[in-house]
Amino acid sequence: MRALSPTESAQRVQPLSKMELMWGQTSLSAITLILYAAAEGTSIAHLRTDRKPYGKATSLLLLAGFLIHWVALYAGARAADSVPYRDLPASMSFFAWVVIGAYGILLLKHRESSTGPFLIPISLLFLIVSIFTNQNGQGALKDPGLTGPLFAMHVTMAIIGYAALSLSFVLAQLYLIQNKQIRRRHLGLLFSRLPALDVLTRLHRTAVAIGLGALTVAAVLGLIWARINWGTYWDPKVLFTFLIIGIYLFTLFPRWIGWGGKKIALLSVTGFMFVLFSYTIVNLFISQGHTFK
Amino acid sequence: MNVPTESPLVLAGWDFRQTPVELRERIAFSPEKVREALTAMRQEGLLAEGVILSTCNRSEVYGVIGGGLAGRDPIQAMTEFIARFHGVPHGEIEAAGYRFSGIDAVRHLMRVAAGLESLALGEDQIIGQVREAFRLATGAGATKAVLHRLFQKALETGKRVRSETGLGTRPISIPGVAIELAQKIFEDLAPRKFLILGAGETSSIFYDLLLAKGALNIEVVNRTLARSQELCRRGGAAFPWEELSARLPKADVVISATSATAPILTMEMARKAMTQRRGQPLFFLDLGIPRNVDPTVAGLENAFLYAVDDLQEIAERNRLERQNEIEPAMAILEEEIGKFVAWLGSLAVVPTITSLHQKFEAIREVEFDQRLDQLTHIPEGDREKIRLIAKSMVRALLRNPTDAIKDEPDPGRRLDRAEVARHLFDLDVRGE
Repeated sequence: MRALSPTESAQRVQPLSKMELMWGQTSLSAITLILYAAAEGTSIAHLRTDRKPYGKATSLLLLAGFLIHWVALYAGARAADSVPYRDLPASMSFFAWVVIGAYGILLLKHRESSTGPFLIPISLLFLIVSIFTNQNGQGALKDPGLTGPLFAMHVTMAIIGYAALSLSFVLAQLYLIQNKQIRRRHLGLLFSRLPALDVLTRLHRTAVAIGLGALTVAAVLGLIWARINWGTYWDPKVLFTFLIIGIYLFTLFPRWIGWGGKKIALLSVTGFMFVLFSYTIVNLFISQGHTFK
Repeated sequence: MNVPTESPLVLAGWDFRQTPVELRERIAFSPEKVREALTAMRQEGLLAEGVILSTCNRSEVYGVIGGGLAGRDPIQAMTEFIARFHGVPHGEIEAAGYRFSGIDAVRHLMRVAAGLESLALGEDQIIGQVREAFRLATGAGATKAVLHRLFQKALETGKRVRSETGLGTRPISIPGVAIELAQKIFEDLAPRKFLILGAGETSSIFYDLLLAKGALNIEVVNRTLARSQELCRRGGAAFPWEELSARLPKADVVISATSATAPILTMEMARKAMTQRRGQPLFFLDLGIPRNVDPTVAGLENAFLYAVDDLQEIAERNRLERQNEIEPAMAILEEEIGKFVAWLGSLAVVPTITSLHQKFEAIREVEFDQRLDQLTHIPEGDREKIRLIAKSMVRALLRNPTDAIKDEPDPGRRLDRAEVARHLFDLDVRGE
């Protein structure tokens, strides 16, 4: 058989067009959404019944969703010739992916599955918004300076940080639920299924430590980048980021203020409200540098 | 579904429901007695197989009837033996127990293994006791095909019921509830610090329980130091009453069970301790009647307080919840009983022999008749004669094994032989 010449090979294997990549990204995101939604269903069933097949099904559905989601993000990035979070919907989709990744770590490292029914909806919510507001790169940041490894690292670390803090938010909520159940002597299904208070405290601390670390790195990288490209350190987002870091520092070192348990969980929830505010309102309306125009 | 009429399974038992504890004590079996009784019953030909389950709540003898009954009622013969073995009047034990045979005996064992016959519904100690009884009997060479399969099935079913229903999930005793609560505040109790107030009976129960849970750090404070020292002889540290305020902030769990008539742990003491703990949780278990801990302590941040009434209420609620799990547990049991009975049916002698003959006939047809038909040079009349010879040869070959199974007087051994035939010839035997 005659070997194909390089030109012939190139003719046969056509690279995917941008349209095909965009279409691929949309349909793969839809499949991911279905898989995550199914995983939410099985994880609720697992929480209710404590039967292992549901737990296994959740892990498999999430793994399949996570991999397909990665391909969707990759296709989206290729279509836009940029990082996967070049526009707001894409960054939300990336965030949803990291949240599932964080849950995967929790499952693998701590065998802790009871957070699933509470954590997967966060990912689902972001993915749904991302799919329905998808502008296929039209809403991308127009500043030509928004490229390069420094910028990519800044955004990646910020999103990882936000995802870890979302996990800490869920863990803080679970702490409050478990705390309330024990205090009110209402020992229902959640009392049985949720982990002990000290386990939740430990997991929460780990999530905050990772989130805080990533967010601090993101902030420092952002400041360096801003100094190079804009000639200034100032951006309203900086203020909010340092406020968030400050709040979470207290949840990480509660003994500084002699707090513990419920108060720390509430402080963590408050911190997350600032994260949401910073991620949405500040990005969209306040910070010029973080607006997707 | 019915157990085949030749079902050899029998059971005689005495439990806490029908038999007074004094009598139960007299007919209880130690492991040595179990071995001795099983050997004797088999030697006398009463049983071909046997397992004795003896716990503080029950004594039960499961058996496959033997060949030496000489027309006697098998269960009657078994209870007479037990009366003789323990030196108890037969009439006394006969009136106090229960007897089952066939599928009812199967169902009873499954219920026992699932914890449905236990004093504390759904408790899981029994499954270990059933396993131990089975192990003892197997060690004494007293189990063969039937009881081996039955007990394995019962153990599997017991586990299945526990994993698929909520029968044994929530504790129904006060110490059980207390430990479950403590474990929802501190997952691992072993490294936690426990402070026990009082050195009476309740304190002693909790002290033993904590040791069993692997707790390494137990402190006991009592008005009489000597008594707390006595309680701590197996580990832990005893402190005089004056040390209470100093020990309190260091503890993660406080178990108070003194006979004091007024709260010994006041709000002021608890508040001070909580301040010193700087946000660390503290679990107060107040087991005193009247209460030892000021109830307002429950309002303190990170302090969790449960009194004996709270624990009792939870235990009662859990007990009611367990009642609701009986129905789903029985559904599992019936499914597993069905499987066992089908297997037992497949062991029955008649279907085994029929299947054995069918198998040989099928082989003869395929391996002999078809090949014979190919030898066309042999005249048809001769081929018919050769076929008849082959048929009678198969019958002659099967005569001895058939008789050996069918005519065995010992029902247990008869089933064993059928089981061997089933395995050797890979017979597909369907139960009746």
